[in-house]
Amino acid sequence: MTATHCAAVRLSRVTRLFDGLAAVSYVSLEIARGERVWLRGWNGSGKTTLLRLIATAISPTFGGGTVLGFDLQTERSAIRARSDLLSHETRLYGDLTAVENLRFACSLYDIDPLRAESALQRVGLEEVAAVRAGSFSQGMRQRLALARCLMRAPALLLLDEPYAALDIDARIVVDELLITAHADGQTVVVASHEAPPAHLIDREVTMDAGRVITPTSVAPA
Amino acid sequence: MSLQVAQAIAVKDLRTEIRSRSALSTVLPFAVTMLLAFGFALGPDRLLLAQTAPGLLWLAALFASVELCHRAYQNEAANGGLEGLLLSPVDKGAVYLGKAAAAFVQLIVLMVVTTGIVIVLFGLPVGPAPALLLLTAVLGIAGLSALGSLLGLLAVRSRTRQAALPVLVLPLVSPVIIAATRATADLTHGGTAGISEWLSLLVAFDAAYLAAGYIVFGHLLED
Repeated sequence: MTATHCAAVRLSRVTRLFDGLAAVSYVSLEIARGERVWLRGWNGSGKTTLLRLIATAISPTFGGGTVLGFDLQTERSAIRARSDLLSHETRLYGDLTAVENLRFACSLYDIDPLRAESALQRVGLEEVAAVRAGSFSQGMRQRLALARCLMRAPALLLLDEPYAALDIDARIVVDELLITAHADGQTVVVASHEAPPAHLIDREVTMDAGRVITPTSVAPA
Repeated sequence: MSLQVAQAIAVKDLRTEIRSRSALSTVLPFAVTMLLAFGFALGPDRLLLAQTAPGLLWLAALFASVELCHRAYQNEAANGGLEGLLLSPVDKGAVYLGKAAAAFVQLIVLMVVTTGIVIVLFGLPVGPAPALLLLTAVLGIAGLSALGSLLGLLAVRSRTRQAALPVLVLPLVSPVIIAATRATADLTHGGTAGISEWLSLLVAFDAAYLAAGYIVFGHLLED
C-alpha cells in the first residue's frame, strides 16, 4: 500500500495567512496512518497553526489536502469526528469539577459517561474528581485535558506541546498515551520545541518560519 | 442526539452561572441601577412613572440580555471553549439552542427581579390578565435570548468585540422590544384588545430568530 493510499494526513502547499503574514507557508506533508510524528520547531515556527489546520480549527488561506481521507475544506465534520486536538488552551471550564468537565465532553462526543471516572484514574486525578477545574494547577489542567483525549481514542491525535507544565509523573502519562495510541493504530502528531523521545516516535519533522524544512515523505518501515 | 447536546450545553452554562454568579453580580445590579436612574430622572410623578414603566422594563431586559450574552461567550472563549465546541462533531445548531435556552432561564430570573422593582418603584399595575402578561414576558425574553445568543458569538469573534454587540442587537431586536412594550403597556393598563396581534408578532420574530440562529450559528463559529 502506498503512502498516498494510506495517508492519515496529506497536505499540498497549505498556506495560512494572518493579517497578510504567513504563519504556515506552502507546507506539503504526508503522514501515514498509525505513524507517530514529532513536529519540532522554535516558537513562531508554525507548528501550532499547522496542527490547527489539520484539526480544521482554522482553514487554509490556500492549498488543501485530506485528513483521514476526508477533504480539509469540505468534509470538516468527518475529520472532527475522528480527530482530537490537545493544545495549551485546555478547553476546560473552571467552574465545573474535573468529572463534570469530562462528562460534558462525553455528551459532545456521544461517549459513555462512565468512561470519565476511568479516564481520571489513568491520569491520576481520581481524588480531585469533585474539585472545580478552576482551582487546578496548569499541570493538573493539562492532565485533565489528557484524560479527555484518553476517553475518545480518536483515529488522529494532535498534541500541541503536551509536555509543557507537566511534572515527571504527568509526562509519563503522555508517554503512555503515545504508546497506547501506537498499539491501537492511532496516528499521532506531536508539536514541540523539545527534542523528541526517540523510542516513542517514528519520524521527526522540523519546521521553521512557517515551512517544513526536513523531508516530508513517509519514512520507509 | 441534537436535543441531548442542547441540554448538555444549557445545563453546563447554567451550572457555570450558578457557581460563578456572573449575571447575579454584574448584570442584575446593572439592570437595577438603570431602572433606579430612570426613576430619579423622571421625577416623582406617579402617573408618568406608571406610563413609562413598561418601556423601561423592557429596556432594562434588553441591556441586561446584551451584557449577559456577551459574558456567556466570553466565558466560553476562555481556555478555548469555543474552539472545543467548533471541533466537536455535533450539530452546531444544537449548541446554539442550548446557549439560547440557558440565556432564556437567566433572563427570566432577571425579569422577575426587575419586574418586582418596577411594580414597587414605578407603581406598575399587574392588570386584569396576569397570565397574558406572563406570556408576553416569556415571548419577549425568548426573542432577546434567541438574538443575543446568536450575536453574542459574533461580538466575541469580531475584532471590535463588545462594542459590536449593541450595534448589532439594537436594530434587529426593535420589533421584539416594541411588541413586548406595547403588549405590557396594554395589559397593565387594563386593555386586552389588540393583544393577540402583539403576541403573534412576538411569536413570529422568536421563531424567525431561532430559525436563523439554528442555521447561521455553525457558520459564525467557523474560522
